[in-house]
Amino acid sequence: MGYTLAEKVLARVSGNPGVCAGDEVMARPDFVVVYDFPGYTDVIFRQMKDDFGIHRLPDPGRYAVFIDHMVPVATPKEEELHILTRTWCAEQNVPLYERRGIGHQVAAELGYATPGAFVVHFDGHISQLGAFGTLAIGLRRNILEAFVRERVSLKVPQTTRINLHGTLPVGVMARDVFHHIVRVLGPASCRFQVMEVGGPGLASISLEGRQVICGLAMFTGAVAAVCNPDELSLAYTRGRARMALDVVVSDADARYAAVHDIDISALEPVIVLPPNPANTRDLSEHIGTEVHAGYLGSCASGRLEDLRIAAQILKGRRVKDGFSLHVIPTSQDIMSKAAAEGLISTLVEAGAFTSSPSCDYCFGRIATMTAGQKAVSTGTLNVPGRMGSPESQIFLMSAASVAAAAIEGRIADPRRYL
Amino acid sequence: MPLANLKGRAAWIFAEENFDVDLIVGVKNIKVVDLAELAGLAMQSYDPDFARSIRRGDLIIGGVNFGYGHPHYPPLRALRHLGIGGIVAESFSPGFWRGEISMGTPLAACPGILGIVQRWDELEVDWQRGEVRNLTRPAARALEPLAAADRAMLEAGGLVPYLKRDLQPAAT
Repeated sequence: MGYTLAEKVLARVSGNPGVCAGDEVMARPDFVVVYDFPGYTDVIFRQMKDDFGIHRLPDPGRYAVFIDHMVPVATPKEEELHILTRTWCAEQNVPLYERRGIGHQVAAELGYATPGAFVVHFDGHISQLGAFGTLAIGLRRNILEAFVRERVSLKVPQTTRINLHGTLPVGVMARDVFHHIVRVLGPASCRFQVMEVGGPGLASISLEGRQVICGLAMFTGAVAAVCNPDELSLAYTRGRARMALDVVVSDADARYAAVHDIDISALEPVIVLPPNPANTRDLSEHIGTEVHAGYLGSCASGRLEDLRIAAQILKGRRVKDGFSLHVIPTSQDIMSKAAAEGLISTLVEAGAFTSSPSCDYCFGRIATMTAGQKAVSTGTLNVPGRMGSPESQIFLMSAASVAAAAIEGRIADPRRYL
Repeated sequence: MPLANLKGRAAWIFAEENFDVDLIVGVKNIKVVDLAELAGLAMQSYDPDFARSIRRGDLIIGGVNFGYGHPHYPPLRALRHLGIGGIVAESFSPGFWRGEISMGTPLAACPGILGIVQRWDELEVDWQRGEVRNLTRPAARALEPLAAADRAMLEAGGLVPYLKRDLQPAAT
């Protein structure tokens, strides 16, 4: 029997000739990536010293810290957190990336998404580095382990393979593909496993789209997601990858927990209703529902293809009076390219509010909703209270669908504008 | 030191799949920090007498993929404070599992548990024999074994004491 990509990566980083799903290993992360957030980084920095007597981090180049939440700050306390982070990174000689964009995206741009590398974070959306063949796992508080010793304890996960077939239709995006996967396979289908996405249909999904699918994998229960590197992803990582590793792919005879085949040719736009991300429905069933706000951004959208399709839909049209549309490019690099393409001016002329990258729109820190309001959103999550009042509602959908809803002030089919 | 068995009554049964634990205190209270206040809020929408009804060590029973969504820590802080000794569920969502094991909350994955338990039944989670027994109406279901690191974390009482214990030899 062969091995999965995840098994191969974890064999290398645990110093074993071969590991199989179910084995318990001590794995040395190639990179430890975090963003500063109260209760996480400030606590970790303190615990390292107070509980473990660690004053100097060995091998600081293995770590990376992002400042992407609370950007820009709104209170002195938030700025104090950032100051603590800046001070700690300077003392420890740990790379700090501030205001460059949402860390999960910037990590890819900066080459932390090295094919075959093992990356840990506390936040599970780091799984999106899997679009480039990187095994990236969110450990929640267990990330502390990666700050106080070289290795983290890990049970080698099984892998569920999803083969995509066909070609994405016009107006249907990777975001729709992911929520369709949750709908047909279920929110526990990849529980404690790696979701591996491949098959001939992957060719019609851009790298950006793969980042979206891999980044949301936690809502299938997956702890990580990967695509086997191909020419498209290797062209991106070549020259960026921070380590020279052999590219690993799953063997043809790898042992999977399950293999699923999904045809994307006939996919329709979908919508995810409150109160949780397991709630995928056909967008067509909800056309006409009045909505008050729209968010296009987050680590699960806000990339060039999202901005392009939104600009295409909104070009020469207007955001409905009274509707708040926030279009937030996911990184500075994306924003700069979008500006060069004229996308930003198209969006602004249509009435969109735009700003530099920030995570803050996704969790209601800014652009906060009040009771009774409804948003269409490409954010990661639609649980009550995520974007403000627990009595507001969030409908997740693709960037195209958000743009269409912004024109009508109601949930709308983007394909009529394409 | 082996992991102590859990023994307590089924204080509540969340039979629904993909249960969002934030509902235990209510989403609007998720940012409450004060433990006494949180404990006062816990389970209010399910059973206003919950806090008065339970005994130390009682258990919460859950369905499939318990803890799905975006689980925060306050609901379980509240339940632990009230005396809840652990959760036995058909299965757990990984994020919730990882977060609560690191807090030292005993979690027992026990496929079939919903079929053998009613509210207030007396249960025993036997880690050694790998089963959950219903002592009120005799029946048992097998536990999914804990990973060694998870077991060690529960034995130590959570992530920080576990890491301290594990790192001690190297530090001396």
